[in-house]
Amino acid sequence: MRRPLPDGLWAAAQALMAALLIGTATAALAACPPAAGDGTRLATGPLQMTWRVVGAASGSATEAVPEPTPKVAPSIAVGRHFAVEMQLCPTSAQLTRVDASMPAHRHGMNYRPSLTTLGEGRYRAEGLMFHMAGHWELRFDVELAGQRLSLSDGVSLR
Amino acid sequence: MWAVRRWTAAVLALLLAALSATSAAAAMLLDFTPAEVANIASHGPWPPTPRLDPSNRVDGQPAAIAFGRTLFFDPGLSASGRLSCAGCHLPGQGFQDGRAVARGLAPGVRNTPGLIDVGGQRWLGWDGAHDSLWAASLAPLLAAGEMGGRKEALAARVRDDAEPGGLSQRYRAVFGAPGRDEAVAVNLAKSMAAWLTTLVSPRSPFDHFRDALLKGDKAAAARFPIAAQRGLRLFVGQANCAVCHAGPSFSNGEFADIGVPFFVPGGVDSGRHGGIQRLRASRYNRLGEFSDAPPGDASATGTRHVLLEHRHFGEFRVPTLRGLLATAPYMHDGSLATLDAVVQHYSALNEERLHADGERILRRLDLSAGEAADLAAFLRSLSAGPVPSGLRP
Repeated sequence: MRRPLPDGLWAAAQALMAALLIGTATAALAACPPAAGDGTRLATGPLQMTWRVVGAASGSATEAVPEPTPKVAPSIAVGRHFAVEMQLCPTSAQLTRVDASMPAHRHGMNYRPSLTTLGEGRYRAEGLMFHMAGHWELRFDVELAGQRLSLSDGVSLR
Repeated sequence: MWAVRRWTAAVLALLLAALSATSAAAAMLLDFTPAEVANIASHGPWPPTPRLDPSNRVDGQPAAIAFGRTLFFDPGLSASGRLSCAGCHLPGQGFQDGRAVARGLAPGVRNTPGLIDVGGQRWLGWDGAHDSLWAASLAPLLAAGEMGGRKEALAARVRDDAEPGGLSQRYRAVFGAPGRDEAVAVNLAKSMAAWLTTLVSPRSPFDHFRDALLKGDKAAAARFPIAAQRGLRLFVGQANCAVCHAGPSFSNGEFADIGVPFFVPGGVDSGRHGGIQRLRASRYNRLGEFSDAPPGDASATGTRHVLLEHRHFGEFRVPTLRGLLATAPYMHDGSLATLDAVVQHYSALNEERLHADGERILRRLDLSAGEAADLAAFLRSLSAGPVPSGLRP
């Protein structure tokens, strides 16, 4: 076989390729299954997902401090924007929408969250806000291998 | 003789009973449940920690605050030269005017909002058409029916007042040399916003009660009138008021349909539905060129993500409940003259007036006369007293 590079460089290039492959595989393995620190775990069929609150936006008027339920990070407060991060497994799954509603009150949020892809099955949703205390239902729409899947989780704010 | 003794004994017994009842009432503290205490705690602490508005580069600057105060009382900013901001936002009345609906250069259709505790609100105006205090301050300056000003005239007033200590000199001290007319007008509004942000209501009887309750100081907490305590229990419990009137400011900062008619002369007031459209169309929102915040700033999160849906039609901003005693009449159209009338509105709520596709939160409360009085007593406890004289012109 004709090698396009001198032997020394060829060996270095092979080593670099191997390192990249191993790195990619390691990253994928690191992302899946999600770690405990990735938040609340949800699953349906072959899909696993975790979600967690990662930040509250400043600039909101209210400073309500609800009692956190076991499933809710204390950073979710009535009337304050917050962001969530999701980890999908397998990483080929695509998160298409995050939304929330209050079934008992028959309304959703007053805001439409925006989604950012962070890579390796990880996503960030900005612009969520629960404007009332009570039971909220978070909904995550996902596409996996041509299938549309939906996951949901309940969150209570007092 | 015996009759006199019996009469004297009876009077003494009555006096003792009255004294006993008085001292018991003075020391009475309801046995609030942990859930109630948690909810009560969420309505404080007060006052809130001041936060600068990143979209207003002069927020918090003393020269801007002083300049803004002067502008607020300056009738020369209006088209007629006779109407200042303080003409409708009277400092002695919670910066309200006591009218059902505003009357600027022309009759309006909405109640003049009070301006105490207006700093840090996410949305301003009954329809939330503004996302910053400076944008909300600019709007009435330029609205034909309010002060009827023009950007060119506002800028000219600044440039032409060249006396020592005049508007031109004070503008330059805050912003530097005046630029194009529109930027000058926006800067005037930013100065006014810097002053308005300083209007924070003093601590109310409720705040003292809340803090005493959380500290476990039962003696101090028991000084909060028992009727107000019962009203507070209703507020956070059975009456569900705290669902929307949440947090230290007693507002979730959002919008609701509470069954107040939205018909106005010649049409309807679409409330939040129109407000979102005006917000998006405005050159002066937090996403526009006049915001001083860096791109992507978190303070514009609401503006970036706000959603327009049909259910927002006829919704109006959930107002703060602090300082209510100074801001009658109530509701977006000023249709309720007293706090008792407000309580009665919710007690006898006409659910058929609510949107068919709207929220299922409000229910007719059917309060007894005593419960209605208790709820009103609690609402009154959120006012601290008259506006300090320092806020007067």
